[in-house]
Amino acid sequence: MNQVSTAIIGRVVATERRPNTPHQFHFWTALDAPVGIGTIVRVETTRPVSGVLPRIFGVVTEGFGYTDLQTPLHDVLGADGEPGASALAPTERTEIRLYTAAVLRQVPEEPLQPVPMGTVHLATEADVQVALRMDTYATGETHRGIPVGLYRAGGTEAAIHLDADFLLGPEAAHLSISGVSGLATKTSAVEWLLASIFAHLPASKGKVAAVCFNVKGPDLCFLDQPASALSDEDRAIYQRLGVPATPFANVRYFAPWSAKGGQLATLRSNDALQHNVQPLTWGLKETLQYAEVLLNRDDIDAKADALIDFIKERVVDQTFSDPMLERSHLVRSFSDLEQWFRELLRGLEGRNADVWRTHHVATIRKVRNRLSNISTRCKGLVTDDGSVSDLPFKQFEDRAVYVVDVANLEEDAQDLVFARVVSQLREHLEKRQLGVDQIVVFVDELNKYAPADGPDTYVRKMLLDIAERGRYLGLVLFGAQQFRSQVHRRVVGNSGTSLYGRMDPDELATAGYQTLAPATKARLATLEKGQLMVRHPHFGQPIFVRFPRPAVLSGREGVERFPQAEELTLEQSVAKALRRLDPAITVGWVQDQLALAGEDDDGVLRARNRTLQARPDDVKAFFKAQLKKRATPEVAARRGPAPLRVPPPDDVYG
Amino acid sequence: MDVKALRVAMAGDRHIQPIAAPDAGAANIRLALRALRDSGLEAGARGASLEVQPQSDRPPRLERATPFEGSRIGVRAVPGAPVVGFRAFLDGIQRSQVIAYAGGIPLVHGAVAAAIRERTDRRLHTWGTPQIAQALFAPHALLDATLLASLGARLTVVDTLASTGASARDFDAPSAAAHHPQELVARALTAVQRARESAELALVAEWVARGEGPLLVDGGTSGSAGAATSAHIVGVIKSHRTLYADEAALPLVLGLREGERTTAMTVSSPRRHPVMSWYLRLREPSSRSPLFGLVRVETARADDVTERADLVSRWLLAERTPVALPDQRWDVMVYGIRECEQYLTAILR
Ligand SMILES: Nc1ncnc2c1ncn2[C@@H]1O[C@H](COP(=O)(O)OP(=O)(O)O)[C@@H](O)[C@H]1O
Ligand SMILES: [Mg+2]
Repeated sequence: MNQVSTAIIGRVVATERRPNTPHQFHFWTALDAPVGIGTIVRVETTRPVSGVLPRIFGVVTEGFGYTDLQTPLHDVLGADGEPGASALAPTERTEIRLYTAAVLRQVPEEPLQPVPMGTVHLATEADVQVALRMDTYATGETHRGIPVGLYRAGGTEAAIHLDADFLLGPEAAHLSISGVSGLATKTSAVEWLLASIFAHLPASKGKVAAVCFNVKGPDLCFLDQPASALSDEDRAIYQRLGVPATPFANVRYFAPWSAKGGQLATLRSNDALQHNVQPLTWGLKETLQYAEVLLNRDDIDAKADALIDFIKERVVDQTFSDPMLERSHLVRSFSDLEQWFRELLRGLEGRNADVWRTHHVATIRKVRNRLSNISTRCKGLVTDDGSVSDLPFKQFEDRAVYVVDVANLEEDAQDLVFARVVSQLREHLEKRQLGVDQIVVFVDELNKYAPADGPDTYVRKMLLDIAERGRYLGLVLFGAQQFRSQVHRRVVGNSGTSLYGRMDPDELATAGYQTLAPATKARLATLEKGQLMVRHPHFGQPIFVRFPRPAVLSGREGVERFPQAEELTLEQSVAKALRRLDPAITVGWVQDQLALAGEDDDGVLRARNRTLQARPDDVKAFFKAQLKKRATPEVAARRGPAPLRVPPPDDVYG
Repeated sequence: MDVKALRVAMAGDRHIQPIAAPDAGAANIRLALRALRDSGLEAGARGASLEVQPQSDRPPRLERATPFEGSRIGVRAVPGAPVVGFRAFLDGIQRSQVIAYAGGIPLVHGAVAAAIRERTDRRLHTWGTPQIAQALFAPHALLDATLLASLGARLTVVDTLASTGASARDFDAPSAAAHHPQELVARALTAVQRARESAELALVAEWVARGEGPLLVDGGTSGSAGAATSAHIVGVIKSHRTLYADEAALPLVLGLREGERTTAMTVSSPRRHPVMSWYLRLREPSSRSPLFGLVRVETARADDVTERADLVSRWLLAERTPVALPDQRWDVMVYGIRECEQYLTAILR
């Protein structure tokens, strides 16, 4: 490593009251020295230890300034109590700038001694490499450095790399980013870091993709659109860090249907952007697997559990016959299941029976209510008719981003999506069948899903499990939250890398930040947009870096540039959906078909869903067939039983 | 070896840059102790500093001075507002300590330093090269010759008898008093003091030669012809064991109010160069000692004596802030001098 000796900017000092230790030292500088909190410095000494001249690297964590004034009273006296008079004094008092630096690294590392007296120099780029141990993983042929930003101080500019083995596994994994909304640039930082990972993850580490949950407005809706205004400075950082300043090339969007069913519930609804938007819908089977997520544990006892298990195992997706039922049932959807329940209860009533196959009629009623509730609460996501449109598990593509837009779903449904998608990712990774070797799962507002306190929900347990075991699987969690203290400590604790944007001062006062020097906290509380503090296993201390604006269109600008599609009529929305499969389909054609079939709205949507799911070669014929199919036998069946009663939410026992 | 020789001899020993390699042979106290031990003496730096021990002071006295401004001493309010005039400040410090006895003869380690702090942009910086000298002070004639040779080979040994003007050879009939260890210590202290004055004077001479603007010197300026005649040099005397006033003038001096000065007088003595001098009250004593805030100013005699003394007084009044607290003599010490002293304390290791 070439050791360029830069100018002396300070001298190490130690006193009995303020001694140096192996992990901390003090130095003074000229008043105008380009040193501040976060500056990386190098100490040079003249006294060899065991024949080697030690080199010490540190980062400034605290600064002090004072004069030779012993008490403020002396200044008051000197100025005769007139503040203006002091300013006129012919001499300014001697003033000192004293800094405390935390040791990043001592070379050699043994014997570890208190920092010796010596001269202090601004770290060069090469020094920064050594100081942060980046020389062990971010250089050479086999490097696995992922640029996270630029360190800049006093004319030095150095690329800061994270170690892929510690960001994506297997040594450590996960990333947590905290800071106040709108100022901490959390979402932006994750977008930037994903781009950096895609550009720099070495081939030896295999394929990587990202699944991002869009939980708020249009945040992640335009990842494939170029940024409107990257500054020259931003571009320079992209260039410097070798990340293309372009949007993500391969992005796919998934959104459930809106409650009414006509359109997808996403702010990415503009006609020009539909080529990579797909519905996200699940049927009974997919949902029952995760019924646990939605069923309030306190409310579901062992008896109800047993019935649900029975339904899962014996009823769904198979022909089921029973003396209590009028006919045999093939339950594939929530509406099928509802039919099944109705008939079963009718049978029990008719025979004045209280118990069916060990299940009490009250339990049956209760489970029926809970389950039908799910399809109501998750309207748009969980279909009544069993049609499934899902993420392409097994066919995940390298460097692709899969955005799951849950921003318009109710909390319950968000939980369901979340639980199922992540569990699926996990299962596929375990079997090495996902299509990629590593998947980054970005969850904004992580505090909502893995709160520090609150009930031990399915989702939280799942996140804890990923936090603890994901690194071996290549399942990597990137979590963003305003307040790190509100996220479960095992989730943040297992996060190998932590980023901090502008922080809330009250948050900084909580226990988790005790190890930070007051000046470092003060800097965190005033960080500019685009600046982050980084903690990473290789870095002895937190480091401040600057990163560029994401090269993608921001959500806010995106919704202006790509206004939402108008509310569509049924015909228009069906035509729009089917055009994804067959561009020749027109609104007029759909109108004609609907008029001919005389189907109601739900039936039309069902036909649409089936068509979308089947992706037939002849879209028109298939759709027409679906309409006809529904039009004949089942309309009759429907007229039978009374409509489903939806219990009010506070109804304890439906 | 006389004091001037000492300075020259030790020129190579200066370590002046606050940022510097470790001492290269300077006779600092550690090295002196080692030299003594190497010469077979038991030595230790445990004695109190000689500067703080009670001195065999001359008693306080009054001395008559000749009026230089007008025909007799009077009082004058300094006209006009204080005005910044000084460009730089000079001070010197000394430290001495008995570190060994050789057959009852005290061996004193002495260290002196002097520096000029120049003011630019309201901040003080070191001007030129500070003077630093450290040596052992002992009466050569009274020391065992082999010991003297052994010490001399290791460090500078300044002869405390020579420095008083009498050479060792002239000292053929030493009085009994001269062998008294306390007397020998007092002579050593005087020799160290001379070394300091000499260091200060060397810097004054340098300033006279190439400095720019008025230099405020801590202490008198009559010690050298160069200082005594340069319009750029102003001395400020803060202690008044000798008051230059006869019985008639004394009440005027002690009665000065803040911002008042006496008229100028000529202060001279056989060993000094004549300068003009006046008393100036920097701060109101109120109920304190009549010497509170009182300084005596020395500067080269000038034809326009009144204007000159008024202007220099205004310069001094301008230096009352920042105050030199917590220095005990803050009432009479200007900040630039205190700062210079602190600087010297820092570099005299
Ligand atoms: N590198 C950057 N430099 C400057 N401003 C940025 C940078 N990255 C993002 N911003 C701006 O900061 C704002 C907030 O960013 P965002 O990522 O939405 O923050 P958060 O997710 O913490 O609420 C946006 O207006 C964005 O344009
Ligand atoms: Mg955000």
